[in-house]
Formats: sequence, C-alpha cells, structure tokens
Amino acid sequence: MVKVKLFGLFRLDTGLKEVQLEAGSVKELYPLLLDAARKAKPATTVTAADIDGCIVMINGKQGKKSSKLKDGDEVMLMSPVCGG
Amino acid sequence: MATAYSGYMGKVMLIDLSTQSVSEYPWTDKDRELFIGGKTMAAKILCDHFTGKETAYSEENLIVISTGPLTGTGAPSSSRFNLSTLSPQTGLITSSNCGGSFGYHLKRAGYDALIIRGRCAERSWLEIKNDKFVFHSAEELWGTKVTECQERLEERVGHKRFGRLVIGPAGENLVRYSAVVSEERAAGRTGVGAVFGWKQLKAITVSGNHEITVHDPEKVKAHCKKWYAYLRSHPLTGNQMPRMGTAGLVSSMQMRGLLSTRNYSAGQYEDFEMVNGETLAEEHNIVNKGCLSCPIKCARTVSVSGKAVKGPELETLGLLGGGIVNNSMENILRWNYELDELGMDTISAANTLAYAMEANEKGLWDNGLEFGSCDGISQLWDDIAHRRGIGDELAEGSKRLSEKYGGKDFAMQTKGLELAAYEPRRAVGMGLGYAVSNRGGCHLNGGYLVILEGLGLNVDSQTPKAKADLTMMFQNLMEMISDSGQCLFTSYAFFPGFLMTRPNGFITTAANKIFTHLGWAIRIINKFPTALALHLPVFHHTKRIKYALGMPMTFGKYIRNGERGYNLERYVNRRFGVSAKDDSLPKRLTQVPQDPNNPKTVVPLETMKKTYYAARGWDKDGAPTEKTLRKLRIIQ
Repeated sequence: MVKVKLFGLFRLDTGLKEVQLEAGSVKELYPLLLDAARKAKPATTVTAADIDGCIVMINGKQGKKSSKLKDGDEVMLMSPVCGG
Repeated sequence: MATAYSGYMGKVMLIDLSTQSVSEYPWTDKDRELFIGGKTMAAKILCDHFTGKETAYSEENLIVISTGPLTGTGAPSSSRFNLSTLSPQTGLITSSNCGGSFGYHLKRAGYDALIIRGRCAERSWLEIKNDKFVFHSAEELWGTKVTECQERLEERVGHKRFGRLVIGPAGENLVRYSAVVSEERAAGRTGVGAVFGWKQLKAITVSGNHEITVHDPEKVKAHCKKWYAYLRSHPLTGNQMPRMGTAGLVSSMQMRGLLSTRNYSAGQYEDFEMVNGETLAEEHNIVNKGCLSCPIKCARTVSVSGKAVKGPELETLGLLGGGIVNNSMENILRWNYELDELGMDTISAANTLAYAMEANEKGLWDNGLEFGSCDGISQLWDDIAHRRGIGDELAEGSKRLSEKYGGKDFAMQTKGLELAAYEPRRAVGMGLGYAVSNRGGCHLNGGYLVILEGLGLNVDSQTPKAKADLTMMFQNLMEMISDSGQCLFTSYAFFPGFLMTRPNGFITTAANKIFTHLGWAIRIINKFPTALALHLPVFHHTKRIKYALGMPMTFGKYIRNGERGYNLERYVNRRFGVSAKDDSLPKRLTQVPQDPNNPKTVVPLETMKKTYYAARGWDKDGAPTEKTLRKLRIIQ
C-alpha cells in the first residue's frame, strides 16, 4: 500500500486529502486515484488528464509518471498552480 | 493642466505640508505619453527633484501618490495606485503598490496624482474633497491602529464612500518597514508608512464627483466584456486564484523546494501541510474578496477571535510558517491581523524575526528568540511598532541588525529590503531578480521569473541560460502593467491555460525547453520593440489603453514604456549611490548549495548579472549608459 496525499484544486474539487492505494508505479496509481475521486465525489469534474498534470513527489523527492512505487511509500500529488 | 487623453483627470497636485499650501504641478501630455502613470510617472517626478543628497526622513523627501490612466475606467483589476518616495529601508527611491479604492476616489476628486513634500508642524490628517484641501489635527487619531483610525475618519467625514490612506503605530514610530493601509489593503513594502510618520501625516481621505471618461465607450465596453470573460475562463485567474488565492502556492513551492524555511536555510518545511493554502481554504476561509473591478478576487477573509478579517497572503504564510518554524495556522492568522493593524509589512517583519532567531542560535545576539518558539510573538509585534525594548532594535530591519551584530550572510535582504518567500536556489532567475530589483529584495519588481521556474511552467530552474533576458522582459512588462493602474495578476492570463493545466503535454514540454533558448530573441525585441506594432491576442492590455485613452499603443510600444520606467528608477537610484555591488544576495544563496549533494543548487548571480547588464544596456557597474538613456528619452 502507498499513502497518497493530495493538494491543490484536485483536493478542493474532490474533498480527498489522503488515500491508501495499491500500486507499483505512479502510472498505475492514476486510474485508481480517479476512481477514488469519483467515489468520494460522484459529481467531480476531475479527469484523467487533470491527474496526469499533477506534480508528483515520492517520499519528499521529485517523482514522475514512470516512477516505481513500493509498499509504504508516501506520494504527494499537487495540481499545477501559480500566482504570488 | 488639461489633457487630450481620456482616462486621465489632467491634474497633478503639489501639497506642501510645511506651509499647508496646494498648487497644480505641471504635467503635460508629452509626459503622459512617455511616463504613462503609476510608478514611472512618480519616478519622473522624483527624478526631476532629487539630487542624491536627500534622505527618507527629510522635508526634501517627496511622496508621490499616483494612479494609472486605466484606474476607474472599468478595466479588470484596475484599482491599483502607487506610492513612491525615498525608502527608509533602502535609502533609494521605491514604489509600493496597493489595491482597494483609493486610486478610484482620487481620480473622482479630479486628480491623477498627489505630490507631498515638507513636514506637518503638528500631527495632521488631510481631507480632500474635489478642489478643497483641508488639514485637520490628528492628535486624537495618533496612536490608533488602522481599523480604528479608519472608523474614526468615517465619523469625521460623515460617510463611507471615500478613499483613505492611514498609518498605524508602526509608521508613527518610524519602524523602517511600516505600511500605509487603505481599507484592508496595504502598500506594505519598503517603509512608506514611516515616511508618512516622519512627516506627521496620519491619514489622507479623498472623495469627489468628477467623471472618469474613456475615449471610445463602445469599443471599451465590448473589449471589457471580452477581457473579463477571458480572465474568468482562464484556469489561473478564473479558477485557481479565486479559489485558493496566493496561498495556493505554498504546497507547490514545497514540492519544488522553493518554500523558504528556517530563514532560507532550506526550501522545504516538514510541517507545510499545517500552514498551506489547502488548510486555509478548507478550515479558515470565510469568503473571497477582491478589489474594485477585479474578477480574480484573490483576497481571503478569515476569523480571528470571532472577527472576520483579511487573511494572509502566500508570503506571510511562508515566512511566518516555515520561515520561523511555526506550524500553527492560527498563529499566522492572528499575527497577520496584528501586523496589519499595527501597520507593518509582514514580509520584512517575518524575515527580521527569522534573522534575530538565527543570530541568537549562532551566539551573535542574545535576544531570547528561537526558531519554533512562538510564545510572546504578538507582544513582540507590539513592541516593534512602539519601539519598546528589543522591539526598538527589530524595528530597524535585518540589514541594520546584521551590521550591528554580524551575520550578514543570513540577513536575507537585498539593498535593505527583505526577500519574499521564494527560496531562489531552486529558481535562479528569481534570485537574479531579487538582486537587481530597483526596490531591493522584491519578487515582483524582480521580474517574478519563478512563474516560469516551477510555479506555472517548468523551465529548468537551475540554468542561468536566458534568465537575464527573461528577467528584463518580465520586469518591463510588469512595470507597464503597474503604470497603467492594473494588478500584475492580470498578466497571468498571458500564458495560455493549457500550459498550466497540462504541464506534461507535448507543447508545454517543448515550451519549457524553448524558453531557455529565447535570450537572443528577447534582445532583438528589446532593441527594436517598435517593430512589434501589433496587439497580441492573449495580452489585452494594449488595446485597452488605445480604446480607453485614445493614446496610440502597441505591444512594442508597451514594453518600451516599461523599459523606460525600469531604467528611469535605476537612473535616479544611481544618484543615491547604487552600483553593481548593491545588486547582491546574501552569501547563503550564492555560496551554500541548498542540496549539499548538488553544487548547482546555488544562485549563479555574477554570471547572470553580467548578461543582464549587457541586455539592459548598462555598464559594468550597473549604470544605464548614456546611449541607453537617450534611446529611452530619459535624457535629451
């Protein structure tokens, strides 16, 4: 199981802060996350492409879609944002 | 002095506080064409008066309060106004920009700008109503915090529909980083409030019933509709900024290693989740607010002790969070409110506190302040504002404290102004911007390249390639947006939305790579901007000036005007001794890698500076050359 923490509008749109999922890579994680988002909020407008655009961190370090995951990893996903 | 251009009111007033006299200041249409408004207009006025011998606290120091020609014309986010003066923090000319409605009311009173000189013989506030200028005693207002002061002014003026500028106790007591506050908004940076305080000017109110006209009402209306719709449909200005405000950046910065932590010794804060934008939005935000005519509405409203007050911006969350190792959002909300009420800049206050904590930790200054120890901070703000005890020292800011106690390497400031919350070792272009910024360590005046380096796009954040040229281009653009009276956030929509929402897409990936090869193209554009005699579809600002003012405007002319403004400020600052050595960063950022295993995680400042000076047409000492000044018509 990996712990997935969500940030940005993805989190605000779905109400999901944190989920536990079984996945061997970030790529495998994405469809599971979309299911979790739709389960949490059936009316969500979040799409697979939105998740694909997220910034990824694995155990505090930059990750990418092809990154492998192992049991106990912590993944952070942030929808892109800017402004200051 | 009447004007042929719409949008402008055609009058600039010179107010002498020493003699309590008011006269019209000559400002011609030629001046309007060259210097537009806002900070560049102010810089021109200051340029014509300052010799380089003036100081912030002197009767010779001027405060220029200027609007932009679009202020009050209904253009999106166009209620900004500007205060320029000699800063008590930097000793240089500065500009501090503010939202709210003061600019609109100033124009309704019939004025584009006010120039204030001299010093009141006694504590005063100034009431302006159309052509009436009345000085009142401020003895009863002196010592009040900003909300109470504004409430009392409402009683005195007799209604609420007027513009107001006030200072709090910090400005009265010459805290070097004190703000001027207008409603809930603040001209927070560079200590403008202290200049008001020294001049014994507690407040200005302004109201009137002049009409603000536009050149072509039909075209303005149609263009306005289109522009508002565009901003509302853009993922940034229509979705992310309204819903999360600037606070939404905290998590993003954490993930990019950009979140200043423990006085910029790191770029990630382990407890960031407790003080980020999501927590603010989910648990504390009551309602979103915006300035007059703003569709973006980036301001937050939160509850502090049961009272609805303005919430913190990103800078405050970052610097009063990880910056001093505080993981309590409640603390930040309360401190933000207290600092606002006292009339102090949260950025400089937080950075000065972080410096003091580190100086204590390193045994340089036994002051009892420790990272992560938050008891007594509220009292400390009050002590700073009233210059009591240790607060009297902290009121001087980190630069002066480091000169006294040592630790210049970790006094996180440039030219005396403390840095914003972006840790630049992971965004080296932002580092260059901090260093060369005319007003000191400011992210906005520094070109805000961090938007390309991880917060909007994902351009290689460690390479110096093209960063100097991009910094120059962004500075010029932002200068002109400010000059016209608009909020810089309108420029976010300059980037097509899909570049933000699809960061892994083919076009975005290609764009990220292309940006680092654009240096030569930017230089050519900068050399021949008038060749760009066109309007860009995603950059609505130029057409708006043409339709609203009746002033010829193209994208090329727009950036040339911005370039003129930036160089003009530099030209004046040269009189006050600015040189290449002042375009610097604390050694922590240039010599100590953020990641000990990656020597590239420093700001390669000197390399970028050299390119930047060349791109700008400055000599090796950072002075605009005579050729540059002539090209920009700053000198004849």
